[in-house]
Amino acid sequence: MDVSGILQEQAEKRNVTSSKQNLEIDVGCLAVTDSNPVDENDYSANLEDYLQSTAREGVQALITSLLSLPKQQTPDGPLSLLPAPTTQLPRQKPLPKPKPPTKWEKFAAAKGIQKTRREKKVWDEEKQDWVDRWGWKGKNKEKEEQWLSEVPANADVDHNPSQVARAERKKLIAKNERQRKGNEARAQANTSEQDKRKNEIEKTLASTRISTASMGKFDKKLEGEKKLRGIKRKFDPTERSVESEKKSALALISKIDGQPKKAKISPEGGTGDALNVRKAVRFASKGKGGVALAQGQTGKRQKGSKRSK
Amino acid sequence: MLRVVKARNARSKRALEAREPKEVEDPRTAIFVKCTSTGETLNRAMKELMSLKRPNAISFSKKNTVRPFEDTSSLEFWSTKNDASMFVVGQSTKKRPDGLTFVRMYDGKVLDMCEVGVDKFVSMDEFKTKKSTPGHRPLMHFASELFDTHPRFIQLKSMLLDFFGSEVLEGIHMSGVEHVISVQLAPTPDGLNNASSVGLTDVLKDEDTKNLPKVHIRSYTIGLTTANRAPHVELTPMGPSFDLSLRRTKDADPEMWKQAMKRPKLKKQDVEKGLGKKKKNLEVDEMGDLRGRLHLGKQDLSKLQTRKMKGLKPSANEVGDDDDDDDDDEDEDEENEPQSKRRKA
Repeated sequence: MDVSGILQEQAEKRNVTSSKQNLEIDVGCLAVTDSNPVDENDYSANLEDYLQSTAREGVQALITSLLSLPKQQTPDGPLSLLPAPTTQLPRQKPLPKPKPPTKWEKFAAAKGIQKTRREKKVWDEEKQDWVDRWGWKGKNKEKEEQWLSEVPANADVDHNPSQVARAERKKLIAKNERQRKGNEARAQANTSEQDKRKNEIEKTLASTRISTASMGKFDKKLEGEKKLRGIKRKFDPTERSVESEKKSALALISKIDGQPKKAKISPEGGTGDALNVRKAVRFASKGKGGVALAQGQTGKRQKGSKRSK
Repeated sequence: MLRVVKARNARSKRALEAREPKEVEDPRTAIFVKCTSTGETLNRAMKELMSLKRPNAISFSKKNTVRPFEDTSSLEFWSTKNDASMFVVGQSTKKRPDGLTFVRMYDGKVLDMCEVGVDKFVSMDEFKTKKSTPGHRPLMHFASELFDTHPRFIQLKSMLLDFFGSEVLEGIHMSGVEHVISVQLAPTPDGLNNASSVGLTDVLKDEDTKNLPKVHIRSYTIGLTTANRAPHVELTPMGPSFDLSLRRTKDADPEMWKQAMKRPKLKKQDVEKGLGKKKKNLEVDEMGDLRGRLHLGKQDLSKLQTRKMKGLKPSANEVGDDDDDDDDDEDEDEENEPQSKRRKA
């Protein structure tokens, strides 16, 4: 049996080197672009073979560059570390927006306070063990759960120390929640002018669309106008007491007449600085206010002038 | 518009957070939609395309009346509802038989579209060879100069790259490289060679799509052997294979495209590693210290001050021959001398 012919063929196959130039390899993207012109003769002679041989050359070059990449040993075998891709593809979604800073974060940044990680576990001297700071069997519930607690001398008859401790803890939780809400409201208020205007227009448009007797049901629709959701007709009962009718009518009139309630939290949180001016004045004047502070200064000066006389 | 859903429990909150924009994005999920009429070829073609795209693929089994080039509202709705950012819409009409439309989305809106006609389709089953594992990342191979020059083919390349592997990988196991998807064009017609000189807008007209060369998409499995320490690649046709011709297109809105191409700011450690702005001669050594290398120019040894001796001094004649400038320099040197002496003391 003569296999020399087959062997030679195989050897020739092996010797086919990727002599092609103009190969643009993007390793990070695992892609290769061959910008050589298509050989028309080969193409028309045998399409499938031509396509396969071109693909082989491109893949050969790509694999060679993949194998030459730096490697990292992992439990599953060597991992070739890919560089960043050079071909830029469009994103699916916009870039994530940074979270608006909380009041504390703003203050800490202004004062240069570093964030420190607070460990969840604390050392319990009595138990001689690490216990959770909060949560199930948390350290913060120690006072509520201890079997014996001190009662102050002037305590009421129905004084319950564990309940007092619990109320104190709950107060802290409520305070935190209040501050969180405040931060959220401040972040909401700090949205861009354009967004604010857009929201306002959308609100106005929605209210005008339901301001007809049929709540917009029989209005002419514009092209591309979307269906409003969540509109329900609500009728008052036909028979009502005079008292409730009077109440609702007065409420309506006051709504039209009066000024809208001011938002409790101003958009900038005061002047927007890390320094709370109002607080600073109160501190400097020892709680007497800005006027007293100013008067105190002039008063001192007057005393001084008297002394000089 | 969809309602803005507020999470009521931790599980739904996690699910919502997974849909929020991320800095490094997940691979695109593609939805396969059948229009009012799809032929046998198209059904099979879509099914096999989906098998290549798995697991990031969703199939709509019912027929839908969508015309992506006329009204995109349903696509936008499906996109937000399924958190998918790519569509493959199949539609076969008398005017445009066996049409596949690739639609790419950005932020729940259509970014760009590309319609191709399936002229020939060979199924995976017709090749009795080994298939690749579903979910493995394919290599991509493009062959033609038009992929760099012609706007239609640049778009097609970008679209296919996005379809088969948009995820940015940090590393890859070589054993996981199993198959390649090769996209090649027929010989470039003469009219297109000087397309750039003619003006690209003329090429983009609908009637001219007949002049565009055919697109051959083939998939092969890769067999890797080593001969004389050099890797040798053997390809085996795996299927499916498509012969496509380009049809209609919709380019991206420039403003939207600009938004979509925005990149996140590079992290500090990446910049130190040398990514982003190129910093030459900086490297982080094994201990994690940043090391730099300075390159100074070649030192001019002719100006080097050596030991002064009477014998080495230029004679009075030579001094007279020199330019005035040199004299000045010497004066300065003399002035500097006492200072240096003082320093030594």
